[in-house]
Amino acid sequence: MGGELGSLIASLLEAEPWVGDLTGIDVDPPRRRLRRADFHLIEPSNRERIVDVVTKFNPHVLVHVGVWEPDARAAPEHAKRFTSDAATAIVGAAAECPALEHMVVRSGIEVYGRYRNAPTRPDEVSPTRPTSDFGRMLLNIETTAASVGKRVGVPVTALRLAPVLGPHVPSPLGRLLRQPVVPFSIVSDSPFAVVEDSDAARAFVAAAGRRLDEPINVVAPGAITTLQAISRGRRLPLPLVGPEWRFASRLSHMLGAPVPEHVLELIHYGRLADGGRAMAALGVTPITTTPQVIDRLFAWESVVRITPNREVA
Amino acid sequence: MADLIQFPARIANRVGETVIAPVRDLWPTHSVDDWGRDAHLIKVLSPAARLRWRVSVGGHHHLPVKGGALLVTNSRRFALNAIYASWALSEALGRPVRFAGRPDIAPVGPFMRRLGGLLAQPDEIAAALRNHELIIISAAATGHPRHAGKVDHHLVTAAVLAKAPVFPVASMSAMVGNSARVEVGAQLRPRHKRRGPLAEVELADMAQHHIQKLLDALGGTQTGVAPIDWLAEG
Repeated sequence: MGGELGSLIASLLEAEPWVGDLTGIDVDPPRRRLRRADFHLIEPSNRERIVDVVTKFNPHVLVHVGVWEPDARAAPEHAKRFTSDAATAIVGAAAECPALEHMVVRSGIEVYGRYRNAPTRPDEVSPTRPTSDFGRMLLNIETTAASVGKRVGVPVTALRLAPVLGPHVPSPLGRLLRQPVVPFSIVSDSPFAVVEDSDAARAFVAAAGRRLDEPINVVAPGAITTLQAISRGRRLPLPLVGPEWRFASRLSHMLGAPVPEHVLELIHYGRLADGGRAMAALGVTPITTTPQVIDRLFAWESVVRITPNREVA
Repeated sequence: MADLIQFPARIANRVGETVIAPVRDLWPTHSVDDWGRDAHLIKVLSPAARLRWRVSVGGHHHLPVKGGALLVTNSRRFALNAIYASWALSEALGRPVRFAGRPDIAPVGPFMRRLGGLLAQPDEIAAALRNHELIIISAAATGHPRHAGKVDHHLVTAAVLAKAPVFPVASMSAMVGNSARVEVGAQLRPRHKRRGPLAEVELADMAQHHIQKLLDALGGTQTGVAPIDWLAEG
């Protein structure tokens, strides 16, 4: 509930008539003003406290969005540990709640992987074979939740999100594209799709209101290549072939935009997925298209300056 | 108080804008579809493609205006039948026709994806048919331009499971010269209703048989000089 996506979901859930009490756990405080929700600031490693809070609350529905994307808010190693700790503690604690009826967990289209001859546009029935650490982290959440759900007899919905971009969402892809000079692969300028944070949040709220026991892809319509994204943002394109990527990613890291493995994979092989089932399953589908999300990414202010109030007395 | 160190963003953006401006003029900033097909790239390459293939299309009224369908064409080695047939049919129908058979190795794979290529795999074909796409697959390549090779029934399975119609397509191009022909046959309707995998095996055989019939109907060049005929019919 402390991250941008979590806060957004909480604020949308507050407005839902079917939602009674609402409580959230995160390592950061909420980014938005929440009127009804309770918030608990707990480290993901503090399992005892998480179990205590969750079991006392005894939820009907658990929405787990505690995913640390590598190089978004934490370094890859920390991100892996935090994500694993949070999944174990929160999903495990929810399993102890007798009122639990449904779980919704965040996953991503990185779970499909980009191995040789991987489907161009995988859908929910395509095999999951992640080829990046982030993909493996997400698949681990899905399998943990699915096994717990099976054990306690509750349906589990895994929302496989395309890379999430939004005005305040920490995203390595967003940071990389907003740099003044952006590298791209000249030999394979492959297309990818993204999703805006507000569309992803609406999908979570819709999923929480239904009792689906399956994964659903949440992908904005349309696709764009890295060069086209650079062109839309009027950035300086830096064409790269292969071996110099290592140097370019190091330099980018030094300039404040690390390029983790899954973003490199996206730039080289693209990342598309079929989000056609979302409408039928959830009743909602992303509205903002991929090119529009990219346009908004470049339109967001990098630093918002707030002028001080003028003293009148 | 800490100072905010800022990258000279304005200068960088101005440089970026100057460099990218010609690219923006030449290339639209959004031309790929959900499957990675780049309509603009195909438009740019079309004049060059016409130097090699001036394709006349027939029988495309058989194809659905909406909805997915599987098209099966013959293939002569190195003749790229599926590519020119898919482009010609796309132009005739006004909707994209994708071809199966791109490799997944850079730079050829990503380039062919931009041209409308999909992987020749049953899952890929099935996913595209579920999304109401028109996909053209190739029969096994042969050395003779008017021989239809065997059709892989694994690829036809996707159409059977998705209940998508299957159409035979005969394609021929001259080895010398740029004339080419693409003829679409009527929808294949199996004689027997099968519940199991025999449905796709029989449908694949039927597709091969119908393509052969279409190819025979197209005929070859008759100049009276056998080597010239052979070269001309290509």
